[in-house]
Amino acid sequence: MDDRADLADLPLLPTTVVGSYPVPEWMERLKTEYFRGRMSAVQLQDVHEMAIKAALRDQELAGIDIVSDGELRRDNDLDYFLARIPGIEIPHTAKDFYFDYYDTRVRAPLPEPGDAAPLGLADDFAFTATQTDRPIKFSFTGPFSLARRVRNEAYPDRRDLVLAIARILNAEARALAARGARMLQIDEPFLAGYPQEVETAVEAINIVTAGVDVTWGLHVCYGNRYARPSWEGHYDFLFPAVLETTVDQLVLEFARTGYGDLEVVAKHGWDRRLGVGVVDVKSGRVETPEEVAARIRGALDLLAPDQLVINPDCGLRNLTGEVARAKLAAMVAGTAQVRRELTGRPMDDPGPDDLARLTPGLPEGAAR
Amino acid sequence: MLVDFRPHTRLRGDGRVDLATSLLPVVEALAEADVDLAKVRVVSDWVQYRENFREVVDLRPILHSVPAAAGVPVSLGVREDDLEVAVDVRRSQDAPLKELTAALLRGAPERIVLEDWGRGSRSCIWDFNALYWSALELWEKATGRGYEQALPGGESDARNIDAARELILGLFSVWDRLAESNALPDELYVVELGVGNGGQAKVFLDVFRELDLAHGRGYYRRLRYLMCDYSQHVLDLARETVADHLAHVSSFALDATRPATALGFLQYKVFLVYVSNVYDNLPTDEVAQLGGRTYCVETRAYLPAAAAEGIAAAAGATPAELPGLVHKLLRLGPALLPEAAPAHFPDVDSAVDFWRRTWSALRLEERYVPLPGLDAYTIVPATGRDGLTTLSGELLRPLLESGADLRMHVNNGALASFVDSLMLLHPFGTLVCHDLFVTDVNGYRTHFRGPGKYDGSVVNWVNGPLLAHVGRRHGFDVTYEPFRHRSGGNIVTMTAQTRD
Repeated sequence: MDDRADLADLPLLPTTVVGSYPVPEWMERLKTEYFRGRMSAVQLQDVHEMAIKAALRDQELAGIDIVSDGELRRDNDLDYFLARIPGIEIPHTAKDFYFDYYDTRVRAPLPEPGDAAPLGLADDFAFTATQTDRPIKFSFTGPFSLARRVRNEAYPDRRDLVLAIARILNAEARALAARGARMLQIDEPFLAGYPQEVETAVEAINIVTAGVDVTWGLHVCYGNRYARPSWEGHYDFLFPAVLETTVDQLVLEFARTGYGDLEVVAKHGWDRRLGVGVVDVKSGRVETPEEVAARIRGALDLLAPDQLVINPDCGLRNLTGEVARAKLAAMVAGTAQVRRELTGRPMDDPGPDDLARLTPGLPEGAAR
Repeated sequence: MLVDFRPHTRLRGDGRVDLATSLLPVVEALAEADVDLAKVRVVSDWVQYRENFREVVDLRPILHSVPAAAGVPVSLGVREDDLEVAVDVRRSQDAPLKELTAALLRGAPERIVLEDWGRGSRSCIWDFNALYWSALELWEKATGRGYEQALPGGESDARNIDAARELILGLFSVWDRLAESNALPDELYVVELGVGNGGQAKVFLDVFRELDLAHGRGYYRRLRYLMCDYSQHVLDLARETVADHLAHVSSFALDATRPATALGFLQYKVFLVYVSNVYDNLPTDEVAQLGGRTYCVETRAYLPAAAAEGIAAAAGATPAELPGLVHKLLRLGPALLPEAAPAHFPDVDSAVDFWRRTWSALRLEERYVPLPGLDAYTIVPATGRDGLTTLSGELLRPLLESGADLRMHVNNGALASFVDSLMLLHPFGTLVCHDLFVTDVNGYRTHFRGPGKYDGSVVNWVNGPLLAHVGRRHGFDVTYEPFRHRSGGNIVTMTAQTRD
């Protein structure tokens, strides 16, 4: 593996999350209050920062090696970004429910970003970095998915809109790297719905990553909005195009769909890192460490140990906090089992008492 | 005193309601009674069901505190009434309203109470409802008419050929697009919940085969039609109805509120879930927002004393023995009741007669009990299947806080069924439902929406805005439109499709 220092310093089979973390019902109410104009942005920011601290703490307690801010500042996977891009118009900025999508449109070509990073993602990262000593993965939605829901009245070809957004995200990535970000992940939740456009997506991804010397991940799943898949299919559509991306790691969904697609990844000669989804985020049933370990072993039949990163299928947003914590704990424990088998060394993994401490409210058998 | 006259449209036109005879006598009786008039609500409804669970005048206590709400702050400025007086305007003009009201205000009338107070969805009226469907044959034999004849128009809208054609062409369109991108599964699943006698299934399958022949893509060969019903007996009859298509049909006996318990293997695989006249017939609670406070409507089934005496006499029993006999009936059904209580029911016919007379006389007392918090009220508990389907009372908030006082259905059973069914749908799947939907929350402020009795079953309108709200929270756009293939009815078509 040709890892950058941050990833190379991590243990074998590093554990991480894909990005989002559960949003409690009380926080949904507060977010909705904001989008109905009944709460100030300052108060909402305070809520977000408290929640991010708690999400980081949960991940640390679970033993996750690479943590995230849980994407808790975001209303959904698109609008947080689109609303900040100069030139994207949003006729109605109020929402009935914070998670709803805006109707967005672009009526003139987007201004080139220059040195500006208007989305403010670097500030988001910087706050997170002050709250944890662990390596941080910072994720953002990719240009292909962001462009999908924008009504395009500016570009004769939607591809040009995708590439324009990619240039803006590249400016954000540069700002993120300048503030110390070392692991960035591009999420493309809409790509599986438009497999025939994968070349455009790859072209745009390479624009986002250009000149930004961090560890890059690319997450492609079948959608996770409201804990439902938006598409069905197989990952073969990614290949061979995805081999042309400049990313260091693919982060894919397997636990819900099955591990048949691992053969697709291996068959096409993917020799970089692979983030293997070992926890189904669309089900509240908590996997056992043994299940997780078995899934990792299955991946090791096809890929080398130093290729694998262990993560859930997708973001944990739609799970309850209780279930998410239990799933992360099981993921860490299952990973530790396999690490032991690979290295022959005892690892600092959670035992039954630790699992019980992390999942106090879950009934016996649900979490373990 | 607050007077809420809901059926205001009946104050105009031919046959208009006369307030002087339909409402004022109630107010006069209140004025003469020992009640705090500042804490009384008078509510007038037009109860359109000839058979229902109400008297012309009912009193509904409004409780201020319950142990579960102890210590929960009550907002400043809420109006805490003591009593609601409910009047059925349709019957009020021919009744001695003042005397009836005064008698109720003087003290509780003699009644044979059949159960304890509880949420509406837990009332024994739902056991009666279940009994009706499971012993339908005996009921039909006694009444001399089939249940479809009890429906408005005498036929289920589910059998409408034009409606079926529209649905099927919609499916073909989706499948054609998926086939173009090589994403069409080998097996194409359609689920029907509440299959009844199989009439809808037969229409659907006949039309499907005919349209597929013209379309030429071989979809009929790949079609898997799953008929689901509460009763295996009904399913057997339905299979006979669709005998011509049996190679494509499977049947499942299941609880409509939990379709995924039997069909979990089809998660995200079903292209169409079709539901006709099922949701209105599933257990429901009612909640109310009165004067700024939220209440659960608790109910208690009873038999009026006079009716109870007649029923008891016919069964050779005392009125006090009726609760025991009723619960025996609900547990065993009329076919086995003669064996369990031969002294009272010498044969099945007498047991069916007891069943029908009891059902006809059955009434519901109501009272309002404050909810300690919407999040503490569970609409649908988690199934444990995926752990994600718990529906909390928070979902009611936008509707309850939509303005003036409101009393509405929660449709717990329908919501459970709806959400469970959504989990079955393919990303490009659709749920289509024909039923009695209230499509605007204001519809609850102007019309009585049940419960009523349809033959031996319970009927309630379904809270459309609530289903739409819950659908949105699960990623679905839910739309309503009047059933387009028959004019003049109340049936509404609900369509749920993945949003975004």
